[in-house]
Amino acid sequence: MGKSFDPSLIVNFVPTLIHYLGVTLQILAASVSLGMILGITAAILRVFRIPILNQFVILYISFIRGTPILIQLFLVFYGLPAILLFINIDISRMEALYFVIITYALSNGAHFAEIFRGAIKAVDHGQTEAAYSVGMNNGQSFRRIVLPQAIRIAFPNIANAIIGSLKDTSLAFTIGVMDMMGRGETLIAATAHGLEVYLSLSIIYYAVVLLFEKIFRLYENRINRHQAVNVSAAG
Amino acid sequence: MTIDILFIWTAFKEILKALPTTLFLTILPLFAGFLIGLAVALIRIYKVKYLSGVANGYVSFFRGTPIIMHIMLIYFGLPLLIDQISAKFDWGFQSNSIPISLFVLTALSLSAGAYLSEIFRSGIISVSNGQMEAAYSIGMNTFQAMTRIVLPQAMAQSIPNFTNIFIGFLHTSSIAFIVSQKEITGAANIVASTNLKFLESFIAAGFIYWGLTIMAEGLSFFIEKKATAYNRGGLQ
Repeated sequence: MGKSFDPSLIVNFVPTLIHYLGVTLQILAASVSLGMILGITAAILRVFRIPILNQFVILYISFIRGTPILIQLFLVFYGLPAILLFINIDISRMEALYFVIITYALSNGAHFAEIFRGAIKAVDHGQTEAAYSVGMNNGQSFRRIVLPQAIRIAFPNIANAIIGSLKDTSLAFTIGVMDMMGRGETLIAATAHGLEVYLSLSIIYYAVVLLFEKIFRLYENRINRHQAVNVSAAG
Repeated sequence: MTIDILFIWTAFKEILKALPTTLFLTILPLFAGFLIGLAVALIRIYKVKYLSGVANGYVSFFRGTPIIMHIMLIYFGLPLLIDQISAKFDWGFQSNSIPISLFVLTALSLSAGAYLSEIFRSGIISVSNGQMEAAYSIGMNTFQAMTRIVLPQAMAQSIPNFTNIFIGFLHTSSIAFIVSQKEITGAANIVASTNLKFLESFIAAGFIYWGLTIMAEGLSFFIEKKATAYNRGGLQ
């Protein structure tokens, strides 16, 4: 701090920082895809009440929803190498980026699981009965009838969770990842223009969030296009 | 690196001393945010001229950027602004005499205001229009109808959302450690680096947050049952 505010620096900082947007999006893409697999698995274990695993998933979701992402990040960063050392795997030299991806995947997984569970429960039970009545078995009715509808119901919440996760990636720099925030920190160290760096970062994050919202809204309209007919018919 | 289970308890006791700071950094912004959020929600619902444009921009920006940005922008920006104004009017006041926690509180209040305004808005919209009309028909004016009829119902319906916001901001207060506040995460970091037992300290901090969250959820469930007692759903 200490230097006077110079708005023209923002024009220089934005292009420098945007180079590192890729790292942020990489963390997001990897953690959302892994979280999706984790979330669907956890939701299925919860919905079908698989003994022991169900209780384990309840504990996992409660823990993730009960602690800040920052604490989870530190726990994975310090805890995972310690745990893996018991089975003689040394990952203490692994890149910080992977710890971030693992943490955000675990976090996303828990949030997605809750969203999917709610969505699966929101599908009318008559749908399953109708599926049985045309001769589908349990697996077929779940995969072909219930799940597609559940995904439609879950989509707005999933979109919100992804945007939330994008904003959370701004904390990855605390364990030394060189994403946009990390690069911003080094820029501050080099130029002592903190305010301009954070203004540039805010502009980039805001633009990306707006873009994501736009894309998600278009996609939501697309997957809901057959719903509009029902609404007008009912009205 | 082995895990020292006993140290978790030692760290737990040490970190628990920072609990008041965390609660302070959670509850105060939520109170301020409550007032900001209510004002912004009403401005947006009644589409007040000029102000509603500002309100829309405010909510969109604060919900569209990470909260750490708000903290950093206020932390770096506000002192510059204060010093400039102070120099202009010759107050002889220096911004470095302001405690950092005040900047954190300001930033978190503004974020809370943006998030809470969306909750108020959805709460108010969800109250059926007939309630407002009924209030008018017995001679209330808009202000009376709002404060006596619509807002109480909107608040009661918003309790689950308020809980989520409370828990969210409880967790968000951990970001304050980045600007060296000694709340739970900050205290855990200090305990960790003085004893070189990082994992144990953060496990202890994790348990504190987890416990707080479970308590908040329990309390919210209880309050919700009381507050929505008037609403029996389809039962008559």
